[in-house]
Amino acid sequence: MQTDRKTQGILFNVQKYSVHDGPGIRTILFLKGCSLRCRWCSNPESQRLEPELAFNRDKCLGEDHCQRCHSVCPNQALGVAQDGKMHWIADNCRQCHACAQVCPNKALIVYGYKATVEQALRWVEEDEAFYSRSGGGVTLSGGEPLVQSDFALALLRESKRRRIHTCIETCGMVPWHVIREAAQHLDHVLYDVKLADSEKHRAATGAGNEVILDNLRRLKREYPNLPITVRTPVIPGINDTPEDIRSIAQIVKDLGGTRYELLGYHRMGTPKYVYLGRSYGVTEQNLPEERLGQLRALARQVLTGAEETAQGVCAGA
Amino acid sequence: MFECCLSPQEQFIQDQLDGKENHLRNQSAHARAYRILDRISGLTPKVDVQRGRLFTESMRETEGQPLVLRWAKALMHVAKNIEVYIDEDQLLAGRAGAQGRYGILYPELDGDFLDVAIEQLSQREVSPFIVDPEDARIIVEEIAPYWKGKTYHEALAKALPEETLPLTYKPENVLESRYIVNETSSFRSSLQWVHDYEKVLKRGFGGIKKEAQEKLAALDPFSPNDNVQKKPFLEAIILVCDAIILWANRHAEEAARMALSETDPTRKSELEQIAQICRHVPEHPARNFREAMQSQWFTQMFSRLEQKTGTIISNGRMDQYLYPYYKADVEAGVLDEEQAIELFECMWVGMAQFIDLYLSPTGGAFNEGYAHWEAVTIGGQTPDGRDATNDLTYLLLRSKREFPLHYPDLAARIHARSPKRYLWEVAETIKQGSGFPKLINDEEVIPLHLSKGATFDEIYDYAVSGCAEIRMPNRDTYTSGCAYINYAAALEMALYGGRMLKYGDEVIGLPTAEPTRFATWDEFWEAYLAQQINLIKHAFVQQKIIIDLRSRHFATPLGSALHDLCMEHCTDLHQPKIEGGIDLGYFECIGYGTVVDSLATIKKLVFEEKKVGMSELLEALRTNFQGREDLRAMLRNCPSYGNNDPYADEIAKEIDRQSVEFTKKYAKEVGVHLDLRYVPFTSHVPFGKVVSATPNGRLAYTPLSDGSSASQGADVNGPTAILMSNFMSKNYDYRERAARLLNIKFTPGCVADDEGTEKLVSFIKTWCDLRLWHIQFNIINKETLLAAQKNPERYRNLIVRIAGYSAYFCDLSKDLQDDLIARTGHSQV
Repeated sequence: MQTDRKTQGILFNVQKYSVHDGPGIRTILFLKGCSLRCRWCSNPESQRLEPELAFNRDKCLGEDHCQRCHSVCPNQALGVAQDGKMHWIADNCRQCHACAQVCPNKALIVYGYKATVEQALRWVEEDEAFYSRSGGGVTLSGGEPLVQSDFALALLRESKRRRIHTCIETCGMVPWHVIREAAQHLDHVLYDVKLADSEKHRAATGAGNEVILDNLRRLKREYPNLPITVRTPVIPGINDTPEDIRSIAQIVKDLGGTRYELLGYHRMGTPKYVYLGRSYGVTEQNLPEERLGQLRALARQVLTGAEETAQGVCAGA
Repeated sequence: MFECCLSPQEQFIQDQLDGKENHLRNQSAHARAYRILDRISGLTPKVDVQRGRLFTESMRETEGQPLVLRWAKALMHVAKNIEVYIDEDQLLAGRAGAQGRYGILYPELDGDFLDVAIEQLSQREVSPFIVDPEDARIIVEEIAPYWKGKTYHEALAKALPEETLPLTYKPENVLESRYIVNETSSFRSSLQWVHDYEKVLKRGFGGIKKEAQEKLAALDPFSPNDNVQKKPFLEAIILVCDAIILWANRHAEEAARMALSETDPTRKSELEQIAQICRHVPEHPARNFREAMQSQWFTQMFSRLEQKTGTIISNGRMDQYLYPYYKADVEAGVLDEEQAIELFECMWVGMAQFIDLYLSPTGGAFNEGYAHWEAVTIGGQTPDGRDATNDLTYLLLRSKREFPLHYPDLAARIHARSPKRYLWEVAETIKQGSGFPKLINDEEVIPLHLSKGATFDEIYDYAVSGCAEIRMPNRDTYTSGCAYINYAAALEMALYGGRMLKYGDEVIGLPTAEPTRFATWDEFWEAYLAQQINLIKHAFVQQKIIIDLRSRHFATPLGSALHDLCMEHCTDLHQPKIEGGIDLGYFECIGYGTVVDSLATIKKLVFEEKKVGMSELLEALRTNFQGREDLRAMLRNCPSYGNNDPYADEIAKEIDRQSVEFTKKYAKEVGVHLDLRYVPFTSHVPFGKVVSATPNGRLAYTPLSDGSSASQGADVNGPTAILMSNFMSKNYDYRERAARLLNIKFTPGCVADDEGTEKLVSFIKTWCDLRLWHIQFNIINKETLLAAQKNPERYRNLIVRIAGYSAYFCDLSKDLQDDLIARTGHSQV
């Protein structure tokens, strides 16, 4: 217990009043680090494990107003662009973050900070009053929260000791024994399945889906009473064909007793790629609402159509 | 992921822009109200001089007589002579003035500057009015001259002590507020109020008159008290009962006259029925739902002729006092839901035509957008503490969803056992997006007022009144408008040794030391506190004078006729002390979030981290951050109220605590509960216009934070954090607190679908658990507000929740529109 509370990990965000990721009103702890590299990832700051510098150019006040960061960089990673705004040379940056300390407008920020389980759950418990009414609690997300397995498991164990409802958003790409341990302390699982075809999955995320599907089936088999919601973010050009969705829906159906949700695609992550000095892997294309509706109908049909005994339902998020 | 989502209100407007038909227009419940609404919408309001002229004529004749009797005589003169109308399509009769959108005059309040004001009225940028030239002549030549030297406002300006006056008015022109310790007793004759309407429905004014006659007959003929005080009071009650009955009967005659010449048989029979009903009520008890509605409507419209009540008399618990009539009619098969809604909506469009005309610039600034809000209370508990929701509760919610008008202001009482269906329908109505209903929390209001002396049955039966206040219509007896204190001005005075940049070298506050001399946070805090307490002191001084003065200028025979205690003791409701009454006053904290954030910033950056020097800060503030964008950015990124951050919230709690300490000690000398309140109307905008740049990075002369909400855009931790900050900054161990107004803006996507409703219900339940007094929601996309600001003519019907009430967005000033846009909109990201 004592050791769980002191276990340390790296978060990159705490999101209060989350109403779309698990039952009730929840707080999401975003753990840094991910085992996949999805091309469309909307949280690129989640991928690497270590804290990292980012620069939001729009917020930079420019040298006429502020020169606070000019002299602090020991590695010549900061210059001045023609318009007077700061210019970040990411290649030179050694991630010392001295510049972020002095930036008054949070144009230079660091994604990622250390926190103990005790500290993280204190943030979660600030909204305790909302959980008891709504049936909410904590959701671990990321990144892939189970990449920091010691931290994530300690968070889950300590949450259960404190009677906090627990939920996880996982991509499933972690060793089975970690998922098994987590499942013992979880009340709800949101499990991402992006593609049924392993080769396409590898092309889109950097890894095949064998481990993911295998873990999902074992999880359902060994913890039949643990509610699982399988979710697919529908990405234009990646998995938005009827074939893609039908195959995943079939997998969910075969599991039995599992909810399936399709999530709409949003490009809210795009600016963050720019802040991090990276480029975005998917074209600027939106998923029309009608198309998402059609795919949802299709998934519902697969899950409920053939045999009436299937308990899976497709809930439109 | 729901960024594209529109609220039903936004969808409604979009459909209208796209030329799609509104299917609700043709439903039997709404068709009539839509026809009436079409006729009045977009009309510029006009001033009707009749009330002001008739009232003045009578007052001129009765000088020297007891005031309550003079008032009753004036009302009789009005009732006899004012033009009466039966509006096309209307089922309810009764207006306080001309057809269309109209405002009326109360020269007893502002007669001293009536002539000047009337000339400016049509040129006013916000809330303009039309004045007919002949009417303007009557105002300037007949009405205004009589009141010169006689109005309450003039008397107050003369009575204020030398040190209090410059905090109240501009010394060179007492018509203008200083917006520091702002009195509100001179732009309205009474605080917001709620009548005991049930009494009218059950007994009729005939019954009340009989009670007064019996009391009159039973007076001790030798008693000086009875002769001098009670007798004129009872005569006034009898006279005012006669007045409203006469006025109703004149409507009956008019309806009968119109029926004779009406060619459409349906309308002819409607008019005949109106004539019949107006002969019966409000003189006699109502016999059915329709009569109950008419009786209530006459009472509230005649009240408007009686006096200018702040924000207008509220409607009380309509789902309670009307329910027996509704139930009986439905059971008898003579009324169905659609007909009941039609009658309600006839009332709503009647309210919408009345405009609360403020001549005083201060009054106008407090109530932007022609604001008045006759709150209709729904839900809550019965006098014996059971859940009170019934079929009418749901009908009133339905009407609000299906007939998008900003009248009436709907107020839903919430308690720990509110049924799921009620919470669900309340949430669905909120999701509509026009800001209704606002919520008031039984779990805070009830125990608090028990400790202030109410009995259980009285407080279980409270009605919402005005913005966020409550009334126990037979127990409350306090009617004086109270002080609004600019806490941000206190902060500014602490920064500049008692001065404010707006007012130059004049030392308006206490001459505290220049802040560069303070070595510690504690020293600075002490200086701020001294300024804050000084302003509260002057508010109390002001109030003591106001209470004494008002009873010599105002009387309310109609309001007194409906009040148990007034009738029992034969005392007018405007008298300072009525035996057995509870006097619930308040004083207002304006700029809470602004001050808390500023103090937190000074504490952290100047005294703890020493990242910014005090003189550097002052220099930047004096120049409104010119060339110091870097410093301003730093200030804006400090701990701030509304984020459940103990650093800021502890300062907030201390500001609150110091205020309630003061009133705990001194309120008894004023003789009323003067409790701490955070309900600004729209006054945080004019109050901001006198306060220069503040250390939280707020630019000079922009709006202050409103109510107990966070500073504009400062709440970055989501809506749960605002609730928690409110909870953490209240002093639950004191009873000297009153309403706290809390605005929350959601984007529609955040509450979309049934799942969104469910979460909104959970949010409301937690708000109830936290014993916060009030909450209201704007469910709207920022893009819609920006579009409406750009193309007002296309968004004329966009309703937004402001501060305790909703108004048409396009009726608001640019400042207030910007303020609404700047309030953080929460969406799940």
